[in-house]
Amino acid sequence: MSSPLYVGVDVGSSATKCIIIDKSATLVGHHVISSGFDYAEASEDVVRRALLQAEGEVEDVAACISTGYGREHVKIANKHVTEITCHARGARESYPEVRNIVDIGGQDTKVIRLSDTGRMVDYRMNAKCAAGTGTFLESTAHKLGLTIAELDDLAMSSKEQAVVNSYCTVFAGTEVIERIKSGQPREDISMGLFRSIATRVSEMIADPEGATALTGGVATHCRALLRALEEVLEVEIFLPPMPQHAGAYGAALLALKLQLAEKGADTPC
Amino acid sequence: MTTAAKRIEIQSQKRLGALMRAHFLDLDEASRDPSRRVAWCTSVGPCEILTAMGFDVYFPENHGALLGARRVSHELIPRAVGAGYSAESCSYMTSDIGSTLAGVSPLTDAFGIAGPPKPDLLVYSTNQCREVQDWWNFYGRRDGIPVMGICPPGHLGEVTSEHVAFVSGRMQRMIEEIENKFALRMDYDRLSEVVALSSRASALWGSVLDTAKARPAAMTFFDGAIHMAPVILMRGSQTAIDYYKSLLTELSQRVENGIGAIPDERFRVYWDGMPIWPKVRELAEKFYDLRTVVAASTYCNSWAFDEFDGGDPLDWMARSSIELFINRDENTKQRFLAQMFDRFEIDGAIFHNARTCPNNTNSRFGMPQRIRAELDMPSLVIDGDLSDVRFFSTAQTMTNIEAFVEQLEERQR
Ligand code: SF4
Repeated sequence: MSSPLYVGVDVGSSATKCIIIDKSATLVGHHVISSGFDYAEASEDVVRRALLQAEGEVEDVAACISTGYGREHVKIANKHVTEITCHARGARESYPEVRNIVDIGGQDTKVIRLSDTGRMVDYRMNAKCAAGTGTFLESTAHKLGLTIAELDDLAMSSKEQAVVNSYCTVFAGTEVIERIKSGQPREDISMGLFRSIATRVSEMIADPEGATALTGGVATHCRALLRALEEVLEVEIFLPPMPQHAGAYGAALLALKLQLAEKGADTPC
Repeated sequence: MTTAAKRIEIQSQKRLGALMRAHFLDLDEASRDPSRRVAWCTSVGPCEILTAMGFDVYFPENHGALLGARRVSHELIPRAVGAGYSAESCSYMTSDIGSTLAGVSPLTDAFGIAGPPKPDLLVYSTNQCREVQDWWNFYGRRDGIPVMGICPPGHLGEVTSEHVAFVSGRMQRMIEEIENKFALRMDYDRLSEVVALSSRASALWGSVLDTAKARPAAMTFFDGAIHMAPVILMRGSQTAIDYYKSLLTELSQRVENGIGAIPDERFRVYWDGMPIWPKVRELAEKFYDLRTVVAASTYCNSWAFDEFDGGDPLDWMARSSIELFINRDENTKQRFLAQMFDRFEIDGAIFHNARTCPNNTNSRFGMPQRIRAELDMPSLVIDGDLSDVRFFSTAQTMTNIEAFVEQLEERQR
């Protein structure tokens, strides 16, 4: 058996992510696949592929923590922890000064507030609705006949932004049509959509004090979202190296901590 | 994931089932007996007046809760929406009106009766919300039934003797209206008697809730939501008193023997706002699995009034009806919550933001933020509704609750 591995699996509504670290918390494997309909199968698959990269076997897994919407479906997991705690842990590891973590996923958006000692003091999730989530972008891009990547490219070339006021996916679609009819450039309308998400997020931030990080799948693909958030929140936003994997990374770190705590050892994280 | 220790159920629940059955069968009987009269009353309305004047009293909000708990509200609400009642307004009201329009009721399944008893009189107090006025008026207009109401001053900070005198005067007026309408005479000694019974049941209910102060707590908010039925439905009767005496004995025994509602309780949280009736069981299980007891709530405490001192019964009723939490201003509410957190040694507070009941939602004017900042009390707001399950996301809420407990764990370290 090679050295022990610590695994974090984040089963999101759209994508399942896996991070593997070794006992010194160094990243040795990662992978992401679509969650599909069978979360158990997706999580097995993603772990197998990440293990290939880590050059390890299932027997080398010393501890595993699952997180995300489908966290209870991960058979290999010793424990499951919410994505709120895991995202906080992952972002804090990449950026110790972080105080606000904005996680924009497929179906929900979260804002997590940390104290100056890194303790979670508050968090908010969007109300049961697509407003401010990846789904909002996907659906609106689809109506325009664009992929998210194309929407992002367009938005990044915007010079002046058009205002899209609606948070609601359906109403935003209507508003976009109105903007097109009034002759506003597509680039500006696209940027307006990202700003609409950023405005929604700004309402979820109770205390803007301190550094802010952006995590989640949407952050990986959309530079325009980062720009919109920076403009609306008027702060510089930190993007961790693998924003989509922040939850899985936090889960892997917690798996390492769990195992060391069981052994009564000091934890590096 | 479930706790290892065995759960010991509250035995009185069996007796409660029989009481409820007898209560509804009797109401059904009353509505068919021409010599008896039925009045509908709001849950914190002037029901003692009605009982003292010989009416059998029925509380429609209970029907709303039952429709929610049986998970049928969302099927019936569209009927009320079609009739012009917004889906964003009280889902007790819309599901109750919807059930009437559809001609179905959970009372049929539960007790074998056709539905709610037919009213001779509809009485409300807007001490809880204005929605009840329009809810009652729906039936008043439709069936030509007299509607009488009291609109006390609301959102009060200090409750003054002027406030009490005003409400007591309105109650006196209502008595006279009932006397005229139904050719009845109020027997004020009987009213004092009913008020004494009502306040006794209410005080006992308060003692029952206090058994959750013990560690481990003898009962949870979810138990309370079930056992509170007599203090609402049978207020002013000896039956309610007897029930709470025996429940209190059982729960005190549990405290003495160290039997908790959640055997290996780790955290104690407070629930503010309405229950989420369609999800009560799932939520109770979730907290059980997290070994977290919901030890106290604003909701259950809304029927724990001060004891009647033998003075003017209308003054006692007036004071109780306006001193209610729901009828107070934000500062008074915050002080009440702070006291509850201390009394029940609360680790965190959960606010239910009920989509269709802004009146019983206390997270819309900065309260969770203030208690966090001023009392260092962790708080969580969950979005949902009392009855309409369409405003609730199970996955999101359960994640929120789990994360809240993880937050409490982190604080403990
Ligand atoms: S207080 Fe809320 S739930 Fe009760 S009747 Fe009024 S609006 Fe409905």
